[in-house]
Amino acid sequence: MGELDLKNLRIDYGARIIIQNFNLAVRNGEMMSLLGPSGAGKTTILKAIAGLLTPTGGDILIDGQSVRDVPPEKRDAVMVFQKPLLFPFMNVAQNIGFGLRMRGQPGREAQRHIGAILALTQLAGLEHRKVHELSGGQQQRVALARALVLKPSVLLLDEPLSNLDANLRQRMRELIQTIQSETRMTMLFVTHDQSEALMISHRVALLLGGRLRQVGEPRELFYQPADPEVARFFGGRNFFKGRVRDGQLHSDLGVFPVGPQNGNGHVRTATIRPEDIRIAPQAAGLSRGLRGRVVKTRFEGSSTRVVVACGANEVIVLTSEDAYRPGQEVAITVPPEKIRLFPGD
Amino acid sequence: MKTSSRRFFGSIVAAAVGLPFLSLMLWSFAERWFYPALWPQAWGLRAWRYITSTAGLQVMTAIGHSVVVAAVTAAVAVVIAVPAGRALGLYDFKGKDLVSVLLTLPIIVPPLCVAMGLHLWFIRLGLAETYAGVIGVHLTFCLPYAIFVLWGVFANYNPDFEDQARSLGASRTAVMARVMLPMILPGISVAALFAFLLSWSQYLSTLIIGGGRVTTLPVLLFALMGSGDRPVAAAVSLVFVAPAFIALLFSARHLGNRSLAGVR
Repeated sequence: MGELDLKNLRIDYGARIIIQNFNLAVRNGEMMSLLGPSGAGKTTILKAIAGLLTPTGGDILIDGQSVRDVPPEKRDAVMVFQKPLLFPFMNVAQNIGFGLRMRGQPGREAQRHIGAILALTQLAGLEHRKVHELSGGQQQRVALARALVLKPSVLLLDEPLSNLDANLRQRMRELIQTIQSETRMTMLFVTHDQSEALMISHRVALLLGGRLRQVGEPRELFYQPADPEVARFFGGRNFFKGRVRDGQLHSDLGVFPVGPQNGNGHVRTATIRPEDIRIAPQAAGLSRGLRGRVVKTRFEGSSTRVVVACGANEVIVLTSEDAYRPGQEVAITVPPEKIRLFPGD
Repeated sequence: MKTSSRRFFGSIVAAAVGLPFLSLMLWSFAERWFYPALWPQAWGLRAWRYITSTAGLQVMTAIGHSVVVAAVTAAVAVVIAVPAGRALGLYDFKGKDLVSVLLTLPIIVPPLCVAMGLHLWFIRLGLAETYAGVIGVHLTFCLPYAIFVLWGVFANYNPDFEDQARSLGASRTAVMARVMLPMILPGISVAALFAFLLSWSQYLSTLIIGGGRVTTLPVLLFALMGSGDRPVAAAVSLVFVAPAFIALLFSARHLGNRSLAGVR
């Protein structure tokens, strides 16, 4: 079992409130990402769950039991830090066995567990290596193995990939995913990298400005962001206002059908992802196109970012063709089904 | 060119370090050595025989006293310096600057003044002419050095290691014994070494506070030198230097390796 419940969590640092009204439930066997920009308080939350700092208010439940008064060494939640933090005076096997030794687990059984974990984390053969003889990726795997061997109910991962280069990062991410699906261990994975969170997790919890903004499956956060800030975090750049009338959104960019359920007569904010907008040179003569002029372009490799001025609005378009130059007259098309209308004001 | 200049400077350093010992060696094996002779006129083992047999008991007792005083001083210094260094190195608190000034005071003020001033107090407290008193006065010099060493060690110490250990199931005491101590062990040995050698070489403060009752090796050495028997004084000096040499070799081994590398 490994259910994690955070209820009304509040954490202060001196006079500063880091986190408040924080509610999050991680299901048994789930891989959940806690996503947010640097300094959002993600690590603070993990430390509170691990028992390394005391929350000012609220409660933390593991498998339905409050762990507020449980010291970190007795908590069934183990944290893996951003840096490997391997004990330099121990070899690989001793590092991995550290937690088992602290639990007073007998030698032979511990050896068996260590052996199994070494195989799982692809470290077999390195057990007698000194820590400083390992590469960065190997060190991070030992740090992971050291926590996994304890089979905690909840594994807390604090950006374990951020110190690795791109190639290694991908392999390590796949390793974590494989281990998670094999062990069905509940994991809370902290990251500031949105694509990492979308790739690795069953569900993503987005933390912005000390508040949880949206919790849901990766596709949900990406395609149905709860508010403009969530959309912005996932790369949304085009926001426009319009008035809803008779199931249609009347905006500067055109009139779009939005369904009847949305409040009539209100001004609403809508967004469209840059890659969903179609762009064409004006000569092509698109009938329903919106006329505009290219302001600037930025080549990004597989795609090019084009800023188009449409009247008073600037629309950002992501296209696979590097065929546009500043000053050029273009036509853009906004597919109505790709428009996301935010609820509320 | 490069190696030859290195050899040149190396030999200057070796000469500066070695020459005093050379003359000590010569003196300790000299039977007769009068001006203006360059070498002893007669060689012999009289001095060594004297300090090993006739005055053997005296020398051995003095070595024993010195070892006990220096070892206890070093141990007490380290036991106090570890928490003090940790507080200074890891945390910010009011009056930290004041503490560092206070710590340098016993190093700046001449030991004679400290010992004289403390003597009066120690008489009242019943610490004069006791081991505890001598260890106490040695601590006034040794403790600041030990604290400075461990301050530096903890300034480069990453307390995240302790959080990680606790999350892995180590209790507070287990973290201290199994994580912190092994991590700072090189620093502890350096601090202990400093304190031991400082205490080992104390003469004046030992004499003032110990009042001649606590005869450590330097006290005996001065007595022998006063008697005018230079070969014997030279032999005792060499005995006196031996632990420093052993300590130097030990520390070179400890300081040279990369055991501190993981602390950062």
